[in-house]
Amino acid sequence: MAEKRTMTLNLTEAEMNALEELSRRKDLSKTAVIRQALRLYQLIDKRLERGEKLFFEDEAEKKKAEVMVV
Amino acid sequence: MSKSRVDLVRRSDGSLVEATLVDGVEPSDLIVVERAWTIVRARLIGRLRAASVPRKEWPESWHWNWERKAPELAQLAASGFGILSDEDWQGLMLIKTAPYVARIEADRGKPLVYVDYLEVAPWNWRIPALGEEGRYKGVGSILFREAAKLSLEEGFHGRVGLHALPQAEAFYESACGMTALGRDPRKQDLVYFEFSREQAQKFLEKGGD
Repeated sequence: MAEKRTMTLNLTEAEMNALEELSRRKDLSKTAVIRQALRLYQLIDKRLERGEKLFFEDEAEKKKAEVMVV
Repeated sequence: MSKSRVDLVRRSDGSLVEATLVDGVEPSDLIVVERAWTIVRARLIGRLRAASVPRKEWPESWHWNWERKAPELAQLAASGFGILSDEDWQGLMLIKTAPYVARIEADRGKPLVYVDYLEVAPWNWRIPALGEEGRYKGVGSILFREAAKLSLEEGFHGRVGLHALPQAEAFYESACGMTALGRDPRKQDLVYFEFSREQAQKFLEKGGD
């Protein structure tokens, strides 16, 4: 595994609550949640940069909505 | 990149051969691999054609191209592992740590390590129809074990998922002890296999395949 660097992260209470909730639901440490979020953000950003689009689809409701990522 | 020592088994005499496990294969390595493997692959495919061996008996990864997978290593979610011996790459594995999640009910929706590609060098292929036994044994097992170990290191509790080519199904189900979760129409109808945390633990404790 690649060498890691340490940083301090400043979060609001709401952000910290969201991080703790994701950590609990996904059974991951808070660091692992942040790392997963970064991987996903980079993955999505690269694909959008290539001109692809990101959608959420509800098969049961037959709804499809494009997700805008900044 | 990190390197560690592993042992391969030479099929011709059962002796152990020292090899290097590389965690952090670079895109340039994939180009080297493709150049070295493509010649041997082409030679074997030529022999299979000449011997009129039915296509279903050919090694199923014969058409893979590692050079084309090189750009994927730019993703944070992608990592490459490989085994070097005799100055040649004996096998390679490309894994993803996102955006794949567990399908087994107990851990559904939780992240796992997804094995995107795992292939041994063509000179290690066992091709009974040609009398080819392959040079080294254990290359695929060592690489797959790294996927389970990485899953633990990432905090994924050993969860690993993959779509197996038909010739590899028995290996993942019987030798590794993964759960087969049926054919996946979104992935060429290949069977999807998954390690639960308990299965991964058992596999890693076993110490071999």
